[in-house]
Amino acid sequence: MSEPMGEPAIEPALTPPLTPGQIRGRRQWPLPKQADPAAPLLQVRNLQTYFKLGSGWVKAVDDVSFGLTDGEALGLVGESGCGKTTTALSLVRLLPTNGRIRGGSVELFGIDLVAKSDLALQRYRWREISIIFQGAMNALNPVIQVRRQIAEPIRYRLGQSEAASQKRAEELLDLVGIPSRRLGAYPHELSGGMRQRAMIAMALACDPAIVIGDEPTTALDAMVQAQILQLLEQLRRELGLSLILITHDLSVVAETCDRVLVMYAGRVAEEGPVARVFTEPRHPYTRKLLGAFPNIRSDRRTLETIPGEPPNLLNPPPGCRFAPRCPQVMPVCTEVVPPEAVFADGVRVACHLYETPVHETPA
Amino acid sequence: MSATISVASARSQRWRLRGTRLRTFAARYSGRKDGMLGLVVLAAFTVLALAPDLFVGPLETATRATAHAFDAPSAQHFFGADDLGRDMLNRTVHGARISMTIGLLATVITLVFGVVVGLVAGYSGGLVDNVLMRVADFFLVLPTFVLALILAPVLIEVVGADAEFLGIRATLLVIVVVIGITSWAATARIIRSQTLSLKQRMFVDRARVVGVGPGRIILRHILPNVVNLIVANAVLTFATAVLTETTLSFIGLGDPFQPSWGQILNGAQSSGAAGLGAWWMIAPPAASVVLVILAFTLMGNALDDLLNPKARTRQ
Repeated sequence: MSEPMGEPAIEPALTPPLTPGQIRGRRQWPLPKQADPAAPLLQVRNLQTYFKLGSGWVKAVDDVSFGLTDGEALGLVGESGCGKTTTALSLVRLLPTNGRIRGGSVELFGIDLVAKSDLALQRYRWREISIIFQGAMNALNPVIQVRRQIAEPIRYRLGQSEAASQKRAEELLDLVGIPSRRLGAYPHELSGGMRQRAMIAMALACDPAIVIGDEPTTALDAMVQAQILQLLEQLRRELGLSLILITHDLSVVAETCDRVLVMYAGRVAEEGPVARVFTEPRHPYTRKLLGAFPNIRSDRRTLETIPGEPPNLLNPPPGCRFAPRCPQVMPVCTEVVPPEAVFADGVRVACHLYETPVHETPA
Repeated sequence: MSATISVASARSQRWRLRGTRLRTFAARYSGRKDGMLGLVVLAAFTVLALAPDLFVGPLETATRATAHAFDAPSAQHFFGADDLGRDMLNRTVHGARISMTIGLLATVITLVFGVVVGLVAGYSGGLVDNVLMRVADFFLVLPTFVLALILAPVLIEVVGADAEFLGIRATLLVIVVVIGITSWAATARIIRSQTLSLKQRMFVDRARVVGVGPGRIILRHILPNVVNLIVANAVLTFATAVLTETTLSFIGLGDPFQPSWGQILNGAQSSGAAGLGAWWMIAPPAASVVLVILAFTLMGNALDDLLNPKARTRQ
């Protein structure tokens, strides 16, 4: 390799975010025909995604509901295997062959995607909801130039000519900060950060409304991670994207997201504005999760762990799924699934500690 | 009007691009010493195979023999003479045509069937995979010689003993067909297994999600990743084909009117050349087989490295 591959400098000034009206107005392609212009961007209700195993159904995602508005960034956090990725991939039904959506609805512009056939769903994949895959090296074909791979969605999803899609791919690479002299590069010739930028460029290819980032910065070092997050933030503001960020790095969520959804064993534990949830965690699991995250200012001896392990989702416990590990467990927890308590500051918590449906913000 | 012009210009641009790519590829290939050596050797044998008369005159037959039986190499007969007094140089050069044609044709048949079946079976999976692989299993266990023994008289009966196809007599065509039939299944299995593994890679999933159809995924995403296997297989198949031709000639399925290296070796064996110390009856055709196979291997290695973008930058 002849030239050094430094990451381009971060531009400090961010453009102000677009308003929802502006975002719908700047769409490059018209809304889908059945779309309701007044409907929220995305509304997921009681989503249930199960995986079939020889011994039964694994309830990977059970009764998950959340919404996403135009230009919003939502963080999906939780430990490995809690259903973050499955939830996100269920939106466009990109599940392994043994995965099924058993119930609930996914409404994009008011159109239920769960009811769509695979063929009909094609129109929404990548054009409305695209994905920045986990591990850019694996998601890029080693023997095809990166630019040609980025051109693929434009060529095949939007049906544009080869020349036009190549040209658009070049623009996209420029947009994500890959210098034009690297246009002919193969995946292995790019650094980890560059590859992730290329994946972002590919996710943006069809001008989608929602981009799902599946741990987009997990394999990167801290500096490159910061650059990628900065890039995502900048693109979100400039292009009016809505972002679903899947990660187990809480600092990434704190830095980039407006709202956070904490998942545990396939269910929503707590959901709300990032600032509220992180300063005032209400679900015992959220508290434990935040406590288990290293803080640069505190003594390393104070790092907490959560004893036990997540329940087997083939046969989850009947009540609250966190009950076996919960420090504040009550008799009711092991019997009744906790209802969601909604607080005035927009946080909702599924825990028996908060019995009445609507709560005042705790002092 | 302007649309047609732009289409035409786009097309011409694409061709220009292809030309540049071909030129840079040729430039890179010429930088590989082993690859160039292979190419030169193979080119030399190809020229000999195409126009043997130019170099050694018409094919010598028993009635036209110019030397005495078992003459050792001399100034008149560089490679000596065989048991019927025929010039070995003449026969070896003429043998190149049959050996190389059979090798190439059998390789092409094997690769086309093997690669297509392997890719389709591996990528489709399920019923298609099962059916194709059971068919491949059938061909995998077919004994080459028995099949040749049965097919040869049938084919000759059908097309006639003197029928020619692309300048090859029907008996030799049997050899090509038999080699192709019995070796495509092994290639198909190798390509299928690699396709199965590639299919699980995330970039294939990504391509599918992004909207690339199955045909294009096979051609654009999977095929380039198995090129190294195909090249390696081509070399092996060619070598095996030349050797199989030798063996089939031995059991009497060759064409005595068109000598091949295998036939010459067979003749040397049956006339007891080894026992008489007439090494010149064995060495020229044997060395030719080795050289051609070696040249193929060298080219295959060089191509494999050049077509693999990872190996390319490592040089």
